[in-house]
Amino acid sequence: MALLRKEPKAEPTEKWEAQLRKGCLELAILACLWDKRLYGLEILRGLEQNSNLVLAEGTVYPILARLKEDGLLQSEWVEADAGHPRKYYWLTASGRQKVVSMAQFWNSFAANLNSLLKPVLNGKGRS
Amino acid sequence: MNPMTSNPMIESYFAALETQLGDLPRLKRDEVVRELRAHLFDRLEQITVPTDDDCRTVLKAMGTPQEIARQYRLELLLSRSAWKISPWSMLRTLFRWTLTGIQGYIVFVLALLGYTVGASFYITALLKPFFPHNVGVFVGDEGLNLARFPEPPPGTEILGSYYVPVAVFLGFLFTLVTTLAIRFVVRRFGRLKQKVGGMAATA
Repeated sequence: MALLRKEPKAEPTEKWEAQLRKGCLELAILACLWDKRLYGLEILRGLEQNSNLVLAEGTVYPILARLKEDGLLQSEWVEADAGHPRKYYWLTASGRQKVVSMAQFWNSFAANLNSLLKPVLNGKGRS
Repeated sequence: MNPMTSNPMIESYFAALETQLGDLPRLKRDEVVRELRAHLFDRLEQITVPTDDDCRTVLKAMGTPQEIARQYRLELLLSRSAWKISPWSMLRTLFRWTLTGIQGYIVFVLALLGYTVGASFYITALLKPFFPHNVGVFVGDEGLNLARFPEPPPGTEILGSYYVPVAVFLGFLFTLVTTLAIRFVVRRFGRLKQKVGGMAATA
């Protein structure tokens, strides 16, 4: 209990960033799998290279589990040279459809928001 | 890699994870642990000779067992198909609950009762074609009776062969209502329980 109290409350901006990350993570995972089969760590590497979406590596796996339950992903254990099997994931047909529609939504969403943010980022409009 | 597989730090991490995932079905839990172990080994393999410190770093990057289990619970509850609604898994979830207090125990007993009544209807529906004189709805001095062996119950049987569809329907109804009630209760109070449990653990 004492430990809990000592922990500083998350800053509002941090909280917002965390929520944003979480919302985008699903799309990013699906996008990683667009043209290849990958296992968990490869997906994580893809995410690390292209974004700073993941905070705790282990939390990618619950999302993969849900995407599979939702029928967007399929998975299979494959014996590897590494000595232990790895669980590979790939997109199902409905997963492909879903990621396309998500990507389209993201595109128009981001474009609209960016145009809204332009004056803020340029520092114009106010002295 | 073998020395690492029996590292006490790793073992206690996965033991904690398994405990935290207690309310997941056994198969799913094993799968989760297996996958996260594979992740850990892949990470450790990148290091030529992993030390305890490396191990700690890798485990830390994975997140705490509590956090991972919380995410699994959250994600799988969000999924439509994740909630098993078979009486068996329902009762198992509840049974784990009974260990936490009197409320859980009462709910468990009521659920067991609901399923037992449901199952009785199914069983008598199955028996009716074979023992038409022993099974049915008997109304008489003793009130209502559904079945008795070897002598038929006293009173007159009022449904005849209609008993089978009626009993199947009632059996289904009892099972369904019990399942929905358990889902409701677990959703309502499960969260509360988790909070209380979490506080107790950190107190």
